[in-house]
Amino acid sequence: MGKENPAAEKASNLLRSRLCDPNFVVKHLSDSPDSNYSSVTEACNNSILLLGPRGSGKIAVLELILTDLLLEYPDTISVIKLNGLLHSDDCCAFKEIARQLCMEHQLLFSKMASFDDNSQFMIEMLRECGLAHKTIIFVLDEFDLFAQGKQRLLYSLLDAMQSVTSQAVVIGVSCRLDADQLLEKRVRSRFSHRKLLFLPPSKEDMQRLLEHILSLPVDSSLPHAYAVEFNKKIKNILADGRFKEIVNTLVNLDSTVNHLLRFLFLAVSYMDLESGFLSFENFKTALSNSHRQPKLECIKDCSILELYILVCMKRLEVKEQNSYNFNSVMKEYKSIHDSFQTSDYYSRNVCLRAFEHLLQRELICFTDNRGYSQSVEFRPVKLLISSIELHQGLKSYCSCPVILLKLVER
Amino acid sequence: MAREKEESMQVSRRATRSSTFSANNNGIELGKPNDSYIPTLGDLVFGQEPISLDDLLSRFPGRRVQILELLRLLGTLNSSMPPLFVYGSASTGKTSIIIQVFRHLSRPFVYTSCLSCYSPRILFESILNQLLLHKKNAFNGYSSAKRCEKPSDFVIFVREALINVIDSLKENAEKTSTSKLKGQVNGKMIYLIFDNFELVREWDKSSSILPFLFGLSDILKMPEVGMIFISSTSPDTIVLRPFCRITKRVDELSTAFSLLFKRYCEPLSDLGVLPNGEMKRRLFSHLQPHIAPSLNEIFRVASQPCLECGVNQETRRKGGARKSVGSGDLDDIGFHMSTSAKYLLVSAFLASRNPATLDASLFDTTGVSDSRKRKRKASEKSLEQKEAAEQELLMKGPGTFSLERLLAIFQCITSVGEEEEGNDGLRVDEGSNALMSDILLQLTSLCNSNFIVKGGSCPLEGSTRYRSTLSEDLAIKVARSIKFPLSKYLYRR
Repeated sequence: MGKENPAAEKASNLLRSRLCDPNFVVKHLSDSPDSNYSSVTEACNNSILLLGPRGSGKIAVLELILTDLLLEYPDTISVIKLNGLLHSDDCCAFKEIARQLCMEHQLLFSKMASFDDNSQFMIEMLRECGLAHKTIIFVLDEFDLFAQGKQRLLYSLLDAMQSVTSQAVVIGVSCRLDADQLLEKRVRSRFSHRKLLFLPPSKEDMQRLLEHILSLPVDSSLPHAYAVEFNKKIKNILADGRFKEIVNTLVNLDSTVNHLLRFLFLAVSYMDLESGFLSFENFKTALSNSHRQPKLECIKDCSILELYILVCMKRLEVKEQNSYNFNSVMKEYKSIHDSFQTSDYYSRNVCLRAFEHLLQRELICFTDNRGYSQSVEFRPVKLLISSIELHQGLKSYCSCPVILLKLVER
Repeated sequence: MAREKEESMQVSRRATRSSTFSANNNGIELGKPNDSYIPTLGDLVFGQEPISLDDLLSRFPGRRVQILELLRLLGTLNSSMPPLFVYGSASTGKTSIIIQVFRHLSRPFVYTSCLSCYSPRILFESILNQLLLHKKNAFNGYSSAKRCEKPSDFVIFVREALINVIDSLKENAEKTSTSKLKGQVNGKMIYLIFDNFELVREWDKSSSILPFLFGLSDILKMPEVGMIFISSTSPDTIVLRPFCRITKRVDELSTAFSLLFKRYCEPLSDLGVLPNGEMKRRLFSHLQPHIAPSLNEIFRVASQPCLECGVNQETRRKGGARKSVGSGDLDDIGFHMSTSAKYLLVSAFLASRNPATLDASLFDTTGVSDSRKRKRKASEKSLEQKEAAEQELLMKGPGTFSLERLLAIFQCITSVGEEEEGNDGLRVDEGSNALMSDILLQLTSLCNSNFIVKGGSCPLEGSTRYRSTLSEDLAIKVARSIKFPLSKYLYRR
């Protein structure tokens, strides 16, 4: 790979680790919600929902605040973290709560404790902590998954908070903006309807963020001259109009911070390690590689016989045959061959195999779920790609037979 | 080339578990219970000699772009990375490239395939066993290190295990090079590789397991852990054009090409000679007549008698004029079946094709059938009806029949066969009980080989109905081999 520039390697490692660490990004953007602070300092029970699309940094902001709080008030706060993907089952959730409480307070945790034991334990702990003026913060990640089923956990948590003796804060984090509509009536009545929306950052914020992430620290172990040169180049790239266009395309697709970070990671991975500088081309390549269209790629890698089958299915759909199977496709294939005298006419077994490949690649699928008693040739199928995608795919297919293009265009 | 790759893949998979660690002088052989074998950190690496970059690139021709991109994304030693998703259609080399890249980099990894670990519990336990360096042997009763069914338990266990592994990797990295493990482990990061990831969709709780696995890196929040998911959906390289009009899969092309290549080399007495332009053209013209039929045979799986067939075909070709290859195979079914099984197949085919009401007239005891209709002038309406009926046949597929009907038809057919063959035929009267149980056994084996399939149950009685999946060509072949006049019994609308 040519001579290696150790400074470049270090720089690239640093950038990569920054991009993989959400806390770094968030520290810069910090817009800490004060409401979280107040609930702790004033020792009142509270609940809040943090909502926003995936990747907008909700958990990262929360972590930031929690670390700050833990520094400020080390003894009066304990944090219990639950995740909807893992603990949506109520027994599981209570067990996890009990386990985390035991870990915090150095108690012995018994795996054999039953559901009732665990919930009793939690209520008692809440009371004890309330008497001792300690706050327990419950962080419920993927909140909407907790709202499935009977919502026992949510009810007991919010109910426990209603009593005067306990001091608890429940913070729910969800990517569904209507998460509070999923709550049952009795749960919703105990929930204070505070919601915090995480909106995508504005353009200026985005610009500042980019600069902050991509600039190397000048006074670190990296050689000074190199770092300064690197930062200058970055500034030039960021000010470039074409770069702004790239960022606009990205933001139009998905305006969350996470999406931007993934794109930057790709760009940094293309960094030329010999010269050690990021160039505009890196960003351009990263853009083209991050916007993939898997179905078009799939078509590009189909064999010609498979394309014939897809075009036959399209024609059958156009003729408004509401359900068709492999045999009808074969009939259509034969009729095309008869009318146009193509050179690509293969035997039935070969076509059946090509058909199975298409099924495997998920360009077509069966429409019935329970038809396992029928063989492949008789089960009704449908296309999984739209006509536009098929058309585009055929056009960009090198050495596509002209006949196919003609047939699709009709 | 594909076979070479396969071999090296198999060796590599076995070797991942074995140790080339010199301190442990017992080499690992599969199947031998070895008491003193203690897995070490070196087992997390590939285990064989690491290969250079050029070697890596030359093993996978045409994959230069992908390999370089993968290397760039993995980055230099100890650089973190977000989860990677590698996709491509079957047999494109995803798994083998990734494993060889890790061999080249000598970085530790944990490999699990969602094909062999077909449920969440097995997947979790397999990962934990590898991380905890636990080997299943006779002592611990082939059990896993920890019992782990739910994702919540898995997160707790795997976090502990990962922390331990990363600590020992850190210690290893700080040692001087002489005291390092012989199976040179690079770096402080460990990578989790999930292969055949598309199969997770078909698991029971896939709606919660799938987002869990994807979000595992966020849940764990450990920058020293990298995740790679391999799944099937996309590209491939091209070999010979006409074949790629049918299929581009390397494994299927390789079987066709190996036969063709042998034929290609026939006129060459000296295989070491590199052909120049003129020779290439002559060789290709020798090959050309065989390409077209080979195209239609491309999906044939070579079976044992193929060797003899090959010889026969050779003599046939050398002897006679050039006739189309396809016709030679018409009489040859290609697998062996007992006579009663063939009769059963034919009766199943007839039962599926013919409507039940015709049975009486077709199979009356005189054994004579007369299904020839008088030919009337086809009116427009009847033509339409015929077309619609054909369409229905295409769409609906073979009909279902009950077991009693099948057995009745079978008895009629065999009695016909007996009459035609004279005294050597099957004796239906004597020992008919024994015959019947044999027949039922035959039926079960036909069902198991998917010639006869269980259809839905009859709505009135609730008994199971069967369906024949035989194609018409194969039915004709089978009937011909037992000299049964199938066409007389087929109902033509």
